[in-house]
Amino acid sequence: MKKVQFKSSYSQYLFLAPQLGILLIFLYWPIIQTFKDAFTMQDAFGFGATFVWFDNFLFIFDDPAYFIAFKFTIIYSFVITLITGSIGLLLAVQANNVMHGKSTYKTLLIWPYAIAPAVVGVMANYFFSERFGLLYHLFHDLWGFNWYESVFDSYIYVIIAGSWKQISANFIFFLAGLQAIQKSVIEASMIDCKNSFRRFWTITFPLLMPTTFFLIIINITYAFFDTFGIIDTTTIGAPSGETRTLVYKAYMDGFRGLDLGSAGAQSIMMMLIVLVITIFQFRYIEGKIHYN
Amino acid sequence: MKKILSILTILFTFSFTSHSYSKTEIHWWYGNSGFLGDVIIEIANRFNASQDQYTVIPTGKGSYEDNMAATIAAFRAGDQPHYSQVYDAGAAIMVAQVKNGVVIGFEDMAEKYGIKVDADNYIPGIKNFYADSDGKMIGVPFNSSTCLMYANMDILKKVGIESVPKTYEEFEAMAPKIKAAGYIPLVQSHFPWIWTENFFSRHNLLMTDGNNGYDAVPTKTLFAETDAFVMHWKKVKEWYEKGFYGYKGRAWGDNQAPFIAGEAAFWFGSAASFGGMKGVVPNFTVNHIPYWDSVTGGKEYPTFIGGAANWILNGHTEEEYKGLAKFIEFMGSPEMDLYYHNMTGYSAVTKGGIALAETINFYRASPYHKAVGEQLSLEGSTIPGGYRAGNWPQIREVIYENVEPMLNGKISIEKGLKNMDKGAAKLLKQFAKTL
Repeated sequence: MKKVQFKSSYSQYLFLAPQLGILLIFLYWPIIQTFKDAFTMQDAFGFGATFVWFDNFLFIFDDPAYFIAFKFTIIYSFVITLITGSIGLLLAVQANNVMHGKSTYKTLLIWPYAIAPAVVGVMANYFFSERFGLLYHLFHDLWGFNWYESVFDSYIYVIIAGSWKQISANFIFFLAGLQAIQKSVIEASMIDCKNSFRRFWTITFPLLMPTTFFLIIINITYAFFDTFGIIDTTTIGAPSGETRTLVYKAYMDGFRGLDLGSAGAQSIMMMLIVLVITIFQFRYIEGKIHYN
Repeated sequence: MKKILSILTILFTFSFTSHSYSKTEIHWWYGNSGFLGDVIIEIANRFNASQDQYTVIPTGKGSYEDNMAATIAAFRAGDQPHYSQVYDAGAAIMVAQVKNGVVIGFEDMAEKYGIKVDADNYIPGIKNFYADSDGKMIGVPFNSSTCLMYANMDILKKVGIESVPKTYEEFEAMAPKIKAAGYIPLVQSHFPWIWTENFFSRHNLLMTDGNNGYDAVPTKTLFAETDAFVMHWKKVKEWYEKGFYGYKGRAWGDNQAPFIAGEAAFWFGSAASFGGMKGVVPNFTVNHIPYWDSVTGGKEYPTFIGGAANWILNGHTEEEYKGLAKFIEFMGSPEMDLYYHNMTGYSAVTKGGIALAETINFYRASPYHKAVGEQLSLEGSTIPGGYRAGNWPQIREVIYENVEPMLNGKISIEKGLKNMDKGAAKLLKQFAKTL
């Protein structure tokens, strides 16, 4: 093959510049700033910044509210991943089997994905309002549901609010995954096995593993970072901070409490958590996935 | 290419036309929304119409917290407004920023630009809340409220109660009657503000060491060691269990809703809730917030000022500050003060405004406007008229975090109050480090 060479040795930098510029300004610069904040103590307006080593980290580790947020974030991301993944898969399999009006189903099921989390939260508000909420009254009649006092009930509230929209994302990716499976494989399996349930779990599902793996990562990052708007428009962390995600806590301390040191330290902790989760996933889960 | 050029031309023309007026622009950021936000815009419009040299441009940034965060972010980016509304809990932070040259104190401004409405024009209680430790005014008093008790007179009439309770003892005595008739006796909208900060001021008790932060940087709150506060909390818990008090979560509106719907007899809220409730709740009265007779020995003490002040931010031109001085003068005039008082229910903040109200017999026409000023100007307090404690927005969070477990019995009252003290002490220590 013939090598293509650019005459100028500078032009490649020129082409790279926009992309690198975006990375530097929007990614690396904020990260550097975060590190700066995390290791200094300063007043709200940025004056009197003093280097304090790990004081901000010690401050958050000494804060019970931080561990409550940590616990909630882990539970929340796990449950959301499980619920949205399984319902998304179920809907995708059903929609894939539909003969007529396939695209109508598809379109309708994808719609919620286009709604912003804050709007989802406001909608969930209507369902869980003590005054006129349908679900509030249904659950209240069943077991005395009261989300601003019971931790369990508040979990239900934010999990329903957080899952609904994400089911659409899972649905569309699973559907795409299902349609990418070669017809011949499915036809061959139909000859070998009559039980469609077993066929699904032994043939189809393993072939969907790359999609599943991808969605697990997407769902976890969604629950970690994108549910901010949902929490802010539903429980605001009630009862007593039990439904605050780590991102929400960092926001509260940084932008409401104006304590940038603590918020910076929390952001770095979050970065480490995401790093650990990602390494774990790629190390231990990805090895078990067959891409072909 | 031609298309792009024509678009650019249009853009340029527009950007030039918007600057074609040679008026000096003054930016005013605020943290009120809805009706209160509309009144702020109206104030700016009236000022703009009153002269043709300056234009005040009001910009709503959302809530108080949002506006404070936006103002700080803007300052850090060198893009701050001239004038910004910052609430009571942020007062300590703003006063501390005078020495860093972020904030220009009102008295300095008044002196330099000869503002006619000087410090003496503002009523003492309000003036002191936004002053530094030497009593020099820093913030310009604006929307000043306090917590008041709203009573649904129809419910009271139905259950045969003639007058609203002055003390918590009286409330306690009438609560079973109201409850028996199927109503919620009491709801309130803000635990830290109404039942913590103003509990202390209403009973003439110190809330933090260092004389509420006026004499020294505070290191701790006095929640658990104030017997009256522990007693009050035990009562709140008891009322909650008996159904005398209904907790509806953290949101202000959710707690106000039962009162608006005619399901609750009393609601503790802000003086400024008045404007929005007129015509919605049929027959209500606005009263002083109750106090414990057993704690004060029958004496009634004033509450702290709530709401917000406007703060002058540094970094603009002489000409712009001249305009701002004119605007402050305009807002401090008796007519504008009374206009704002009447529209919103916030207290009149100037002596002139109050005198004008008396002259035109304003309170006879609208007696409910009177409670706020009355309660704020009660005399005999030996504690400062406010508190200077940093990180207070977060301390309010700490208070809230313990409210729910205390109410549902997950932790004892003593434990909950100790938790609050502990959390607050940590945050106060953190703040002290940034000074």
